Amino acid sequence: MEAMDVDQEKKILHRKQSRYINMDEIFFAEKEPYRGQQYSQIYFARLHFLRTLLYSLVPNWKPHLPVCTILGLEEGKECIIVGTLYKHMKLKPVILDEYSKERSATPLFKPHNFRHPDDYLVLEDDSGRVKLDGGALLPPVYVTGVVVALLGKETGAGSFLVQDFLEAGLPPQIEKPLKPSEDKYVVFISHISAGSSASNPLLFQLFVDHITGHLGDEKEQRLEAEIVHVVIAGNSVEIPRGLLNGQNLASKDLSRLSEPIKELDIMLTQIAAGVSMDIMPGPNDPANFSLPQQPLHRCLFPGSAAYNTFNSCTNPHFFELDNIRFLGTAGQNIEDLEKYSEAKDKLEFMERTLRWRHLAPSAPNTLGCYPYTDRDPFLLESCPHVYFVGNQDKYETRLLNGSEGQVVRLICIPKFSETGIAIALNLRNLECHALSFEVQFSS
Amino acid sequence: MATSRVGMKDFYRQKKNSGGISKPSSKTKSTKKTPTHSSTVGSDAVQPPALISHGALDLQDEYDSKEELLRQFDMNMAYGPCIGMTRLARWERAHRLGLNPPRNVETLLRSGKADAECLWDGRV
Repeated sequence: MEAMDVDQEKKILHRKQSRYINMDEIFFAEKEPYRGQQYSQIYFARLHFLRTLLYSLVPNWKPHLPVCTILGLEEGKECIIVGTLYKHMKLKPVILDEYSKERSATPLFKPHNFRHPDDYLVLEDDSGRVKLDGGALLPPVYVTGVVVALLGKETGAGSFLVQDFLEAGLPPQIEKPLKPSEDKYVVFISHISAGSSASNPLLFQLFVDHITGHLGDEKEQRLEAEIVHVVIAGNSVEIPRGLLNGQNLASKDLSRLSEPIKELDIMLTQIAAGVSMDIMPGPNDPANFSLPQQPLHRCLFPGSAAYNTFNSCTNPHFFELDNIRFLGTAGQNIEDLEKYSEAKDKLEFMERTLRWRHLAPSAPNTLGCYPYTDRDPFLLESCPHVYFVGNQDKYETRLLNGSEGQVVRLICIPKFSETGIAIALNLRNLECHALSFEVQFSS
Repeated sequence: MATSRVGMKDFYRQKKNSGGISKPSSKTKSTKKTPTHSSTVGSDAVQPPALISHGALDLQDEYDSKEELLRQFDMNMAYGPCIGMTRLARWERAHRLGLNPPRNVETLLRSGKADAECLWDGRV
């Protein structure tokens, strides 16, 4: 009886609000004209930006040492060179392997990691390239496309012996606003995979019910009312792949193709009706393949796109909530780093991308990317307060402290369809915790 | 090519420009660039008549000092690769990145009289 009177007697709980600013303009590719350019342009833009930056950092790092170009290296003279790294990998798949006569050299199975002890690094700038030696720069840590400054000298063999190196380091961070007094939460979820046989729709429905406040008693609802924003970090649908084999679709198959999206739209309408949300495209979503992935089209979500709380965003996604900056991807940049380099965990890959000041250094070498001509949109000019990566195997998080007082919360968002875990981040103190959902059928 | 180098000098009396770009000979000539048969060496009879004028081979195409200036701009490595961009877009990028590209190149490109595309456009 009391539950029925709750609207008249007790006041209706209001969800807290936050000021949301979408900053995805750098990742839009709509206006970019394709004029047959190659990837040399984006590498030039990247080298120029990071080289200018490194030149400004070099006097503090090693004063009194000369900086020269690669072609200007003299044997035995100690100097500093700046350029883009290229990692020569023996096992990296090359299109020419299909045409090579000796098929025995390539393994018959595809390894998911292409590292090999014989990999070596080469530094390139616009004048030339030089092979790198020495134990200071370890090939398993780096990938092609990272810009570094190196101190060393040229050896008799024509390679460069590296004694020390300098990375661009964490970018400057805007001041975090003074501690707000109340708790406000942002919820991250990824790999909902609606429509796939492995995902349980009841699990996602449970999640939706929770964040929209349809579950639990008043105490629980008060906590749920503190959720101000939801971010869906990619892989929201799984289109049945068997249908996409190049044949014309029968009419009954056409509806099978669109069912996952319709199912997702029904769920998203429930979310959008209650809280502002962002949806990012992921590797499995119906968006373009190369980074930056453009926003999913509004016509895919006829129900939810009608709400102004619904935001279709790019991948990578950059936004600001109450003056706290968030930057995140659906995981392609970290997955690619994992294939070509080594680290103790995913958070270390994320930390490296911040230190290299580039979201996806292996683009366009091994990660598909649009051939920009005048800029590299993945360069980090400012440090986010929260850096998230979706579609990971498990939930991991860490607080990263930079040398100039930057503080970044790194979050690996696990696959919801497999783990049932979504992440809630408290804007007040940047602490996160997991929201774990489970569905069990008694047999 | 090495064996017929002596013959090549008779063919191609190249004028070296001070800047370094000498445009390769015009399209009809390029097919004859590699004298694969010794019968063509030193023989004027197989050259199409239009390419020989006043006793010397005609290597200069219609490009003047303005185009030469623009080609120097194209080839300058400091402003990045030139292929795949219009010259004006490349100039604007160089300007935006603070590389101080020469102003006379900009005025020339904006005046509309010069070729908007880089030197390698359509040839690579």
